[in-house]
Order: sequence, then structure tokens, then C-alpha cells
Amino acid sequence: MWLPIHIDENRPEPLYHQIETQLRGLILGGQLTEGTLLPSIRELAVALKCSVITVRRVYQDLENEGLLRTRQGTGTFVAGVDLTAREGHRLDRVVEAFERAVETALQLQCTWEEMERILRETYEKAKNEKEVGP
Amino acid sequence: MTAQQSDDVALRLAGVAVRSERFALGPLDLEIPRGIVTAVIGPNGSGKSTLFRLLMNMEPYQEGKAELLGMTIGPDADESYKQRIGFLAELPYSYEDALTAEEKARFASLWYPGWNWDRYRKLVRGFDAEEANRTKLRKLSKGLRRKVELAGVLAPNPELLLLDEPSSGLDPFAWKTMIDELQRYMEQGDRTLIIATHIAEEVKRLADCVLFLHRGKTLGFYEKDELFDSWRSITVSLEDEGASAANLKRAPGVQDAIESAPGIWQLATDRSDEAEAFCRSEGCRVIATRRMELEDIMGCLIRKEEARR
Repeated sequence: MWLPIHIDENRPEPLYHQIETQLRGLILGGQLTEGTLLPSIRELAVALKCSVITVRRVYQDLENEGLLRTRQGTGTFVAGVDLTAREGHRLDRVVEAFERAVETALQLQCTWEEMERILRETYEKAKNEKEVGP
Repeated sequence: MTAQQSDDVALRLAGVAVRSERFALGPLDLEIPRGIVTAVIGPNGSGKSTLFRLLMNMEPYQEGKAELLGMTIGPDADESYKQRIGFLAELPYSYEDALTAEEKARFASLWYPGWNWDRYRKLVRGFDAEEANRTKLRKLSKGLRRKVELAGVLAPNPELLLLDEPSSGLDPFAWKTMIDELQRYMEQGDRTLIIATHIAEEVKRLADCVLFLHRGKTLGFYEKDELFDSWRSITVSLEDEGASAANLKRAPGVQDAIESAPGIWQLATDRSDEAEAFCRSEGCRVIATRRMELEDIMGCLIRKEEARR
């Protein structure tokens, strides 16, 4: 099974953190539903070009959070997630994307006003495109 | 990383040293757990092949203790431990030159209890090497011979694979097949792979841990992701009047500092977070931070070791 996890080599966060955040997002965002069988540890490690030690750690952490459960001999599954937890994480990935954008803007000495204008223009543009439709 | 129970350890070296006229290896202290892939990397002549021969009891060692799959290696070792190991030497054996691939496989099938002809034939087909079956090995191209050799070490599905530069001579398609087959082998969970390689992409795709060798000594055994997470190349600009290059070299974990343009410095560090904070506190602007390639990390480790000699 393929998971839409993307590793950004240039991010300062350690690899396991990037994988964990995104996998948590997929579960809490509802893309991975209860009972979904996740790839084996080796399979995911190969797909992400990381070590099995990292994937084992991610699965372990998310199991401790109650998002995953492991059945001996069968594999690791997505556990049931309650709605409040899901709502609480809805904005997580958006916040992360904004953080990245702000970081780039600051590197290029963007002012607050410039950022605000870019956000407004980007939003308007996206909204218009959506309304016109493909 | 340590594994407590001896059952969890595939390879244990305690103060192992080879002192021959040609070459000195060690002393090496190392513990490799089962179920993981370790890439052994190092320049030519760093001792990779000597280490592999030692593990196959083909190279006597004078000091320390080497254990493989719970067996102590040495003159008194029961050679049957090799039935649990698939070993691919760096170069083909000339005494096999007159055999065909099929004859070599038949010989191996007598030695390995786990030999599986179905698996062997599937592998040979997967490597697109069926033409080699009835040809003498000496007449095969380097790559074709490598393909049937790979099929031969994988066919018995051994507990441990020791592969010495397995991809040398392989075309890109066969290389991909090899990577896939090694992944499938590791999927079983309890298998262990130790692979000597010069190819960074093999390390990226396969390895869980990396062992650096140089002049017969280890420059470190790292978990791969930790290694790539902690080593960074930081580009800083000396903006402030007060900022000085001499101070930069004192940044935490700095392994290398090069002025790449006037006032712009490249630092290689294995403690990137602290080094970045340090540069900022010294009045420098951090322009970029990026991960380092394996060969750059290796280069830094070697330069540091050479400076110490």
C-alpha cells in the first residue's frame, strides 16, 4: 500500500518527525480510515528511503497515542479516532504549510504587509479559479 | 544501538584485529542486530573485503573475539555455520571458471539445506540470465556472471547475507531487480544483510545502518537516518563587522569550514541545530542549511581522522 507521505530533505526536522506528523495527519484527517492495514515496517522504510528503525519508532509512537494498533503476525492497523481529536488536528497541516511559507518570506526579507498582500491575492486567485471551474 | 540478548545479535566483534604482513584490520568493536541492513562503506583498501573474509573464516584474526549468528569464528569453528550464510565475494572464484551456472547451482544445492530450485530459477529468470545456465562461467560477461551468483546466494534464503559490492557489473535493470529482491528478502523480518558498497543510492534505498571503514579502522557505526539528520552543511554570511571567520570554526560539531565566496562560509557540522544557533549568536546570518551527501560526510570523517594521525 502506498502512503502519500513526502519527505522534504531540506526541512530541519528529523526524518522520523516528518513521517510521524504526516502519518498522524492522514489518520486524523480521515484519509486513512479505521481498520486500514498499513505497509509493513520494511515496506514503508524502502518507500521512504529511511531505516526500519525510524519507521518502527513512528508506528510505536502512534500506537502509544492510540491511533494505530498492531496485531501480532498480521500487521499494523489504523485504530478508531474520535471526532474531537480529528477536529483538533484539522488545521495542523495548514499551519505547517503556512509556517514554511513564512519562513521562506522571512529569508527573503519580506515585510508583514507584503505577506498579507500575497496571501490575499493568492486566496482571491484560487477562489476565482475554483468558481470558474476547469 | 545495543542489543542485549545474544539472540538479537547477528554479528558481534569485540576487539577483533587482523595483523598480517599485507594488511592490518581493527581492533574492531561492533554489534549488528538481526533484522537490519548494514552498509559497509569506505575507500578501496579500507578493509571491507578483509572483514567479510574474516566473517567467512577465510582470514585468521589474532586478537579479540568474533561471533556470527551465535557461533564463534576461529580455527575451531564448526564450518556448518556457513550453511546459514549467503556470501558473495567481491570477485568471482577462478576455480569455478569451468563450471556452468547450472553446475555451480547444483553444487550449492548440496551444501545449503534451505536450497530451493524454484526460487533459484525464478531469480535467474528475473535477472534475465537464463542463457548462462549452459555456458561455462569463464565465458560469461562480468555482469551476467554476477547475476547468476546473486541468484545463487539468494536461492537458499539464508539467515544472513554478506554481499561484497554485489552490483558491480550489473546493468540498471538488473540493479533494480537486485534491489527489489534484497527488499523482499528483508521483508521476512528476521533476516540480516551486510553489504559493502560504493554506491550511495544503494545505501539510501537499502541500509538501516552505516559502518564507515578507513585504513582498517572503523570511523563509526551509525543509524542511517540519525546520520543524515545530524550532519548538515550550513551556509552563513558574515554580515556584522564583529563577526569573524575564526569564530565560526569553533561552532559546535564543525568538521569543515570553507569560504566559498567573500564573506560567505560553508560549514559542515554533525550538530546542526547548535551550530546554527552559535552562528547567529556570533552575528552571522544563516542563509541555508541542507543535508549532506554520504560521500561528503565520509570525506569529512576521513579528513578528521587523517588530521589526527
